[in-house]
Amino acid sequence: MAKAALFVTCLVDLFEPQTGHAAVEVLDRHGWQVEVPGNQTCCGQFAYNAGHLQEARAMAQHFVEVFESSDADALIGLSGSCTAMVIHEYPDLFRRAGQSRGESSEDSETWALRAQAVGERLVEFGEWLHHEESLPLPAVKPETVAVHHGCHMRRILGSTEETDDVLRSYGAQLAEYPDAEQCCGFGGTYSMTEPVVSTKLADAKRTALSQAKAAGASCLVSGDWGCLLHLSGRMQHEGDSWPVLHVAEWINQREKMSAKKGE
Amino acid sequence: MEHLPQDPRPWPVRRDTALQDTVLQTTLTHVTHRLNNARIAAYRHYPSGEAARIRAKARKREAIQDWGVLLDQAEEQITAHGGHVKRAATPEAVGAYVLEIARQHSVKRVIKSKSMVTEEVQLNAQLEAAGLDVRETDLGEYIIQLAHEKPSHILAPAAHKNRQQIQRLFVDTVADAGEEVSEDIQELTRFARNKLRQDFLSADMGITGGNFLVAETGTVVVITNEGNADMVTTMPRVLVSIIGIEKIVQDWDALEDIIQQPALSGVGQRLSSYTTIISGPRARESWEGPDEWHVVLLDNGRQNIHGGPYQDVLSCIRCGACLNVCPVFRQVGGHGYGSVYSGPIGTVLSPLLGGMDAFGELPSHLCTMCYACQEACPMDIPLPHEIISLRETAVSERRESATVRTQYRLWGQAWSTAAGYRRSVTAARLAQRLAIRRVGLAAGWLHTRTMPFVSSVTFLEDWAKKHRRGTS
Repeated sequence: MAKAALFVTCLVDLFEPQTGHAAVEVLDRHGWQVEVPGNQTCCGQFAYNAGHLQEARAMAQHFVEVFESSDADALIGLSGSCTAMVIHEYPDLFRRAGQSRGESSEDSETWALRAQAVGERLVEFGEWLHHEESLPLPAVKPETVAVHHGCHMRRILGSTEETDDVLRSYGAQLAEYPDAEQCCGFGGTYSMTEPVVSTKLADAKRTALSQAKAAGASCLVSGDWGCLLHLSGRMQHEGDSWPVLHVAEWINQREKMSAKKGE
Repeated sequence: MEHLPQDPRPWPVRRDTALQDTVLQTTLTHVTHRLNNARIAAYRHYPSGEAARIRAKARKREAIQDWGVLLDQAEEQITAHGGHVKRAATPEAVGAYVLEIARQHSVKRVIKSKSMVTEEVQLNAQLEAAGLDVRETDLGEYIIQLAHEKPSHILAPAAHKNRQQIQRLFVDTVADAGEEVSEDIQELTRFARNKLRQDFLSADMGITGGNFLVAETGTVVVITNEGNADMVTTMPRVLVSIIGIEKIVQDWDALEDIIQQPALSGVGQRLSSYTTIISGPRARESWEGPDEWHVVLLDNGRQNIHGGPYQDVLSCIRCGACLNVCPVFRQVGGHGYGSVYSGPIGTVLSPLLGGMDAFGELPSHLCTMCYACQEACPMDIPLPHEIISLRETAVSERRESATVRTQYRLWGQAWSTAAGYRRSVTAARLAQRLAIRRVGLAAGWLHTRTMPFVSSVTFLEDWAKKHRRGTS
């Protein structure tokens, strides 16, 4: 039995634990044994993007130590952005931060390589599911949904088509809307340090999404809770209760529905 | 004089002014989308375009790397063709040199083609202060000159104005008494062309920028979509070309690939509508061209960038593609940046040329780290990483408030261990219960968005409880 170590991400852990539970259920249904390294915290991206290199490095070191000790066949991340951070930013982060804290270049390089090794085992949830053989799903009614891909899923991982394919294979009809590739304005702590522009971008995204809503989209689905917390936080503030879901939750719902039908 | 002009209004004022300007919001959405769609379509319809782009990028990077030798070669060639070369270190040096030439030739009227570098050195202000009459001849530059404004887009300087505003501007500034000015775009263009024709005919000095300086032959290449540079370079007696030293290109072979890039990425054409090639002053047998040609090569901080971690920004060809895709630019436009260089490239270039004191807030406040700029950049400039590096500089120079700085430090420390993370969860729950959420970073979230609550049982807590005796 293949074993997965779940990289939960801080946002899922703290604010949206149901996403973690949904991911576990999906993994389980696909025959994977799930391990959750209990000492995991956060990938440190919020500090890295804000220019706090040493804080980011400290969190990255913790991440590497926690996940390299896992013997799982795959590390599965519940965020495109955090997964991209580990895979694409960590090695360089260790090199640059090591240099500015006066570490020897051999030590920095060792950390960079350890990070690279962890990154090579890490895969984002939607991408993982795309590689899985799909379960034989009894026909369930198609559902129109709106999808928002985080910018790092789109431009760093480059895996938006994989997630779209997976969603379609589970009966999703993806509602189109303008400027789908534009940032929602979250940007990590940018949402807090520059709330005016950040909120303006959330509103631009909501305006665009209203077309998807008008086309019958029942909810907004994304592989990143960063974007979703920002967008749903804005929606709630404006009295809009359109549901938002992580990809893992939506997939889990579909699998449960079809399991019931199959009985 | 500062190295780079700066809008004295603080960022929040620039931002809010832009967000409340309904005309700007409409024109900006239109311009950025139109140019971006044109760029995407141009590459799609040009199957070998990607290979040309990759070659262009490689040659441009090499040219920047070797610019010392290439600039010497260019200077030699220009001089051999009867041109004069001036190396200028600062904006004042450019102004002083141009004024000296103007004095020697008793110049009264100057016409210019579009040039970002002359915006950078505030050449118009310098020349006007000495009593010269300066006229911009690019339509967009003409408009903002009449309005006494700065360009709001590297490529489309008047992108923030609609035709009604331009019609009123023409009536108020250049129309003769009683002269009718239509709101129709073609009519407005015709009107400007007629007015500019008089300026072309009466000017004594022409000033161009330069998109490329070909070292092999000492040739300055200017691309325009209006053909005005052809008039600027051929009609007046004296011609001055002012060029940033990063415009250097090795040879015509490299130029063939590189010259396509600003057209493709900027306006979505294979080639700009007009290509003006300046190889020297009028030769004895020639019947057109200036009597004298001066080439000013501007440093103004570029040498300091060379050889350092930001060297790649010197490959920028000023196509404006990064502006058109930037979500923040799409909201606040060029004037939001307070610099003549706006958008993602301006966010990097402005603090590098103009200093962190003047422009240090750009990397922190005008980027969501979405990577759209890097994806759009034909020269593959790693703008997001450069913006992160500038944020690191801002942090190390302690430009953030003490509260924010402390918060990042404590947050980073806590979350570098599992125990610290758990303690922070407890602390967050307590803060939540006591409703103390309006401090530091979190306060920024709350005014406009509902704050999510830390779950009563986090995922990791729940997992630990259920798997206490389990394997993990």
